[in-house]
Amino acid sequence: MTPVSYGDIFRILTPETILEVVSLLVLFVDLAWLRRASQAVRMRTASLLGAFGSLLSLLWLLPNHAAISAMGGALVSDTTVAALQAGILGLTVLVLLLGIRERFSRNPGEYVALVLLATTGMLLVAAARDLLLIFVSLELLSLSLYVLAAFAKARAASAESALKYYLFGGISAAFMLFGFSYLYGLAGTTYLPAIAARLSQLPLSPIELVAFVLVAVGLGFKVAAAPFHLWAPDTYAGAPAPVAALIASGSKVASFAVLIAVTAALVPAWGWTAALLCMAAASILLGNLSALVQTSVRRILACSAIAHAGYMLLGIAAHTTASNQAVLVYALTYALTTVGAFAVVALVERSTGSDRLDAFAGLSARSPLVAATLLVFLLSLAGIPPLVGFWVKFQLFAAVLQAPAATGWGLGMVVLAIAGSAVSLYYYLQVLKRAYVTASADSSPIDVTPLESFLLVLLAAAVLVLGLFPGLISGFFAMF
Amino acid sequence: MSLLQLAPMAETTLAPAAWIVRNLWLIPAIPMAAAGLIALLPQPQRRPAAALAIGSLATSFLLALVAFVHVLGNWASGAPTRETISVNWLSVGSSTLQMGWVLDPLAVIMLVMVTFVGSLIFLYSTGYMSHDVNFTRFFCFLALFAGGMLGVIIANSLLLLFMCWEIVGLTSYLLIGFWYHKPSAAAAAKKAFLTTRVGDIFFLLGMVWLYAQTGTLLFYDHGAGSMEPAALQLLLGQHAAWGLSAAAAIGLLIFAGAAGKSGQLPLHVWLPDAMEGPTPVSALIHAATMVAAGVYLVARVFPLMSAGAGPGMTTVPLTVIAWIGAATALFGAIVAVAQFDIKRILAYSTVSQLGYMMVGLATGGVAVGMFHLITHAFFKALLFLGAGSVIHGCHEEQDIRRMGGLRKAMPVTFLAYTVGMLALSGFPIFFSGFWSKDAIVGAAHHWPVSQGPFWMLLIGAVLTAFYMMRQIGYVFLGSWRGAGHAHESPAVMTFPLLTLAFFAIALGLLGTPAWPWFTSFLEGRSLSLDLAGFQEPGLLPLMAATSVLVLLALAVGWRLYGRRTDTQASALGQVFVPDPLQSAAPRIFGWVESRLYFDELYAVTVLRLYALCGALAVWLDRCLWGGIVAVVSAGFRQLGRWNKSIDSGWIDGGFDKGCEELTTAGGVLAWLQADRAPAYLRTLTIGLLLLIAALVIAASVTGQVKL
Repeated sequence: MTPVSYGDIFRILTPETILEVVSLLVLFVDLAWLRRASQAVRMRTASLLGAFGSLLSLLWLLPNHAAISAMGGALVSDTTVAALQAGILGLTVLVLLLGIRERFSRNPGEYVALVLLATTGMLLVAAARDLLLIFVSLELLSLSLYVLAAFAKARAASAESALKYYLFGGISAAFMLFGFSYLYGLAGTTYLPAIAARLSQLPLSPIELVAFVLVAVGLGFKVAAAPFHLWAPDTYAGAPAPVAALIASGSKVASFAVLIAVTAALVPAWGWTAALLCMAAASILLGNLSALVQTSVRRILACSAIAHAGYMLLGIAAHTTASNQAVLVYALTYALTTVGAFAVVALVERSTGSDRLDAFAGLSARSPLVAATLLVFLLSLAGIPPLVGFWVKFQLFAAVLQAPAATGWGLGMVVLAIAGSAVSLYYYLQVLKRAYVTASADSSPIDVTPLESFLLVLLAAAVLVLGLFPGLISGFFAMF
Repeated sequence: MSLLQLAPMAETTLAPAAWIVRNLWLIPAIPMAAAGLIALLPQPQRRPAAALAIGSLATSFLLALVAFVHVLGNWASGAPTRETISVNWLSVGSSTLQMGWVLDPLAVIMLVMVTFVGSLIFLYSTGYMSHDVNFTRFFCFLALFAGGMLGVIIANSLLLLFMCWEIVGLTSYLLIGFWYHKPSAAAAAKKAFLTTRVGDIFFLLGMVWLYAQTGTLLFYDHGAGSMEPAALQLLLGQHAAWGLSAAAAIGLLIFAGAAGKSGQLPLHVWLPDAMEGPTPVSALIHAATMVAAGVYLVARVFPLMSAGAGPGMTTVPLTVIAWIGAATALFGAIVAVAQFDIKRILAYSTVSQLGYMMVGLATGGVAVGMFHLITHAFFKALLFLGAGSVIHGCHEEQDIRRMGGLRKAMPVTFLAYTVGMLALSGFPIFFSGFWSKDAIVGAAHHWPVSQGPFWMLLIGAVLTAFYMMRQIGYVFLGSWRGAGHAHESPAVMTFPLLTLAFFAIALGLLGTPAWPWFTSFLEGRSLSLDLAGFQEPGLLPLMAATSVLVLLALAVGWRLYGRRTDTQASALGQVFVPDPLQSAAPRIFGWVESRLYFDELYAVTVLRLYALCGALAVWLDRCLWGGIVAVVSAGFRQLGRWNKSIDSGWIDGGFDKGCEELTTAGGVLAWLQADRAPAYLRTLTIGLLLLIAALVIAASVTGQVKL
């Protein structure tokens, strides 16, 4: 055994450590000093503190990352990981700031602390390269999210969605752990690169295929890929809006990162790509088709998330440097757009008490700014140029078509994906039609704070500018 | 460093084995997979559940027939009849644990019997359980049981055998307690599980010891297995205690496990209680197959049991088995004479017949014991299914005093039952039971150690004929004493009865002294028709003597019970005309009716001891640990008071909140039980299985994986 370098471990884990310290600080401040303060003040303080902590962690990460690894390679830090972690931290900042006026919880300190814990889980997931560490950090992430989904304790829908999320997630995690144990049995190691080396020597056995599918259940659950997606519509619809945004954004990015890492280990064997492709095709079809019949905007976003997961799975199955890069960029920009969309949904819900399609009627008259940002977000999700959604989709599909591994299936699957995104335009436009065409009985303006307007405009501008100048994205990755 | 390694299928046979040998594992795997699928079905899906269970076992039956033909072919061509496949299961450090399966005449006979009888009983169950709400669950358990039992049969490793053995034990528990809302059924299930566990502990000890001594748990491994001469020689050389060799000690430990499963004295107490389960379960598990697992285990490890015995000698384990078997045979037969529950009589008869099988193994060798096992499986399944038909037709009545005269109402059942009864009694020449039982009695007669078991078996045989005649007299002869009207059962129930009745007669042809097909097949010897087989010294006189005794016993039974005239009115008034034996010797009859007080004995000894241990544990828990907890909790309570003085409103508010949340949670749980969340999880599992199936099929089609 090589001696353990605690210095390296600490260096790699500093962003996480900052988050942990801040989460304790948030709890302490909330419980010690703000006990008698009003709900709004407590929520504002806790959210600002949490956002500040995430920003601190992000700022530390920018200059202080290096290509090092700790614990025998189980935990790595390189430019891609650092860029992802920075993206995840940025998403957490946005989610916390956009949720600053939420009143679903009487314990804002605990809420923010849990969000920071979940973020810690995401950062670890993105950096882990060892089955055990992956499992533990995925569980840290999942368990925090289960609790967060149940956080609107007064609403039965929240508890219901959390229970479903939990039951589904618990069983998936059990399957995944079972699959990990098979992988360990086959390869004799839990370290991903060593597994890759071992699997390429072994002849393919049925037990290996079983292991692949079991692992695919756990990771498929995290990225909401069919047929392991059933929790997503209920959870997106029932969880508090910021939590749903977090599940749809940061958690997705981290899960795709780990999926890429696991794919790197399993792709030498035959079955893994096939499993991914099955899931991708099912996700594209089921996601887009089930979105057509939804009447709740949150559910539409959930179903579209399943479809987007399907697109990204194609890139992962292609597994070239370019396609992996394209998947990560896709995941980050998709997360950014979804956070914006959920922010708009939260605003509408606060004003009308509902997220049904009808609640969006006359949005452009009630608040032109909010409606305009929603237009940008949804069209970007649909992949309309010149928004960023178009560019990332283009890059992803191009990378898939160029991949040598994709010669057999690339064209067919890309055609399926493009057909799927054509279908998706219909349901996105359903929302926009309500916002811009249908008249509303209630024409009172929607209550938006300057901070919210600022963030929404910032997000919409990012979606537009990144679409116009795609080079900025690679610039972001090049910062690391 | 790899602690656990799942090596790919490493086949260690020398020549490429036939398809059926390589894929013998399918026989237990198919019913197990069916059980898994049935478990995924929602409760109302009755028809698919039954179809899956019956279809899977029928497929296994066909595969077993293929295996049977394969072994027959080897036998006819003079090739070795035992083939094994071994797989590296896991390696710990430098040692590797292997598992595998074996195909030999012993296994293949059992495979055919279990799958055939099992299929018939499955079919019968669709009729018998047709009104049960939990029909789907029932077939899930049945299929799992069949898979476990078939696993026991093909196992070539004591460990694999033990694992399947435990599956069988688990499903037995689940099926005995199938009607768990009846307290008696729940208690019987618990009793069966715990009693067999007593035997299993010894079995496990024996297994670990065997592994420690020989380094392998495979039975046959081209000379390196634990049942092969090299390992046996090693074991004989090791001395355990009290002058026993390690081979003898391990043999005795393994026999303890077999005794638990096969209801031998003193671990027989669970078997009669197990009749609380549905009758098809009694037929399948507690008569035909599971209880035979113990006998099969002894037959499987027979080389170990008989290690070191020269001509005209025997070994310590075999002596113990012979005496215990004989005592069980006699005991079961005595108790069965004084029972009034139709299934309980058959249960004690099973206990008794299992004793016969054990004596057969110990005194005559594998073939003698196994032949009785096979014939018994058929006629006892027949009797149980017949009893089920009677119970079904008499509206769930089990007391034979409230039956009578059913030969008119249920002619088909009567015919089949009579065949079963004559086979069990050992009616001369025409019934299989005569030949198999006679072989055992003959073997016991020639046993060099003692004539004790022989006389016990002889008395047992007389009693067997008597109590079966008594049962027939009570149930089918005389006049109807029950309430309502009895009716014949549907064809789906009578068809298996008639099929089994045919085999209860025909199987006898396979084991006559003139044409000993069964023995020759099991021992791999050549076979010819030779009437000189009857001229073995003492054979014919013995056969004549047992026949006369059996006929006498039947006649006495007929005399006493054939023409009972008690009326319906007296039975309905709960005043029964006393049994003739009861009026002759009321005190002895009372003892026997109370099953010689075995349960009571255990209640005042073993259970009292457990109760004492339990009381001690409670005392420790209350006073010692409870005290510690009380101190800790007092400390925390103090802390809580201090906390409350800081903020008194918090706790109250929290309590209200808690109540509110409980209400909400209750609503959510109610919603979850409305089957949507289960449906999600079912979809998840089905998706998983489909994906695995798709990948494996695709991989084998493209040649990536060889199945």
